[in-house]
Amino acid sequence: MAELSFPLPDLGEGLIEATILEWLVAEGDQVERNQPLVEVETTKSAVELPSPQAGTVMKVHGEAGSVIAVGDPLIVFEVPDDTAGIVGTVPAEKAPARRVRLSAVLDDD
Amino acid sequence: MSETLSSPLSPAAGDGPAAPAPLTLSMQGALNRALGEVLEDNPKALIFGEDVGRLGGVFRITDGLQARFGAERVFDTPLAESGILGMSVGLAMAGFHPIPEVQFDGFAYPAVNQIVSQIGRMNYRSRGALPMPVTLRVPSFGGIRAPELHGESLESLFVHVPGLKVVSPADPHQAYHLLRLAGSMPDPVIFMEPKARYWQKGPVDPADAGALEGARIARPGRHLTLIAWGAMVARCLQVAELAAEDGIEVEVLDLRWLSPIDADGLAESVSRTRRAVVVHEAPRSSGLGAEIAALVTERCFNTLKAPVERVTGFDVPYPSGDLEDEYIPNIDRILFGIQRVLEHRRG
Repeated sequence: MAELSFPLPDLGEGLIEATILEWLVAEGDQVERNQPLVEVETTKSAVELPSPQAGTVMKVHGEAGSVIAVGDPLIVFEVPDDTAGIVGTVPAEKAPARRVRLSAVLDDD
Repeated sequence: MSETLSSPLSPAAGDGPAAPAPLTLSMQGALNRALGEVLEDNPKALIFGEDVGRLGGVFRITDGLQARFGAERVFDTPLAESGILGMSVGLAMAGFHPIPEVQFDGFAYPAVNQIVSQIGRMNYRSRGALPMPVTLRVPSFGGIRAPELHGESLESLFVHVPGLKVVSPADPHQAYHLLRLAGSMPDPVIFMEPKARYWQKGPVDPADAGALEGARIARPGRHLTLIAWGAMVARCLQVAELAAEDGIEVEVLDLRWLSPIDADGLAESVSRTRRAVVVHEAPRSSGLGAEIAALVTERCFNTLKAPVERVTGFDVPYPSGDLEDEYIPNIDRILFGIQRVLEHRRG
C-alpha cells in the first residue's frame, strides 16, 4: 500500500487559502474517484471538492473552521500499489480467450 | 551501435561486489529504479516535467526522486510541453543530460517543433559541436481507458525524424536496462513507455542486462514471426501460446529499437520462419508496419511464403475508453492475421 497526499488546490485565480466548512468523509472511509470530500469556502464561493482518486482516507487535515493554505496537505489516501495514476485504470489481467482456431497444411515442414 | 550500447551496462567480471539477486518489480518500479541510478551516475542528469517532482508523476515513475536528489535536479514545470522540450535543448547545449517527461503521448504534439526542428538535428547542424543527450520519456499507447490524447501511438512520427533514436520496452527487465542505457547515451532518445504494462510485475536482473542492441527474440518458433513492440509484445506472447495448441510454432520478435530499426534481426528471424505478421496499435496507413513489411520483403522476398500481414489499429483518431478493446489488435484479430498468412498459396 502507498500513501498519497492531496494538497489544497488553487480553487480560483490566485486564491491563497480556503476555510473548511464541513468534511463529507471521515478517516477510514473508502472513497471513490470524484466523490465529494469536503466543502470549503474561499473568498469567492463555497465549493465541494471531488476526490482526485479512489482509496481509503488515512488522514484529514483541519476541522470545520480551520483555514488551509493552498498547497498545504488537505487529505491523505492509502491506495494499493497497483492503483492507476490520476488518469485511467489498471488493465485487468485476464486469461487469454479466443474464438479463432488456426488450421494449416504446412507443406514446407 | 553495439559498442556504445553494451559498455555502460556490462558488469565487470570477477572481483567486483557480489551481483545483486534478481528482483521482482513492476515496470513502474523498474523505471523508477533506473532513473534513480541514472541520476546517481551522472550529476548532470536532470528530470523535469509536469507533476514529476512533488507528486512523483501521475504514474509514480519519479516517485521519491525529488526527496532523494533535491528540487534542483527533479522539478515540476508549467503545463507547456514546448517549454519542457525547449528547455531541454538549452540544457543539453550547456552540458546537462535532460530527462524530460511528456506526461502523455498526445501532449507531445505541442513540442513537435522543439523535438523535430531542434533536438533531432542540432548535432548534425553543429557538425557534432552540440550533441543533444536528451532522454524524452513518453508514457505511450493505449489500453487504460484514458480520455482523448492519452492513448496515442506516435512511433511513426518520431521514427521519421532523422537524428532521433526511438525505443519501447516490453517488460520490467527491458524497461530497467533500456532506460539506464538511454539515460547514458549521447543522442536524443524517445523512450516510449507502454502505459498499459506499468503495473504487471516481472523479474528484473540488474546485474545481467543481456544484449540491448536491436531486436530480441521473446519466444522462439519456426513457422511464423510475430513482430511487435511495447504492450503488443505481451499480447503476441499470449497468441503464440494459443497458436501452439493448434500446432503452429510462432516466434515473437520484440523489436525494442524502432529507430534505428534492426533490419538484420528482422531478416534473420523471417528468413527462418518464412512468414511474418506485424502487430501495432498505431493506425495502419504509413504505420511502422508498412516499413517493416517493406524491409522484410526486400530482404526475404525469395523465401517468403506469403505477403507480410499487418494487424493494426484503424485509420481513425484513437477512440474513447469503451471502444479501445475494438481498436487495439486483440487476440482473435492477430490469430486471423496468422491464419491469412498460413492459408496463402502462390500462383
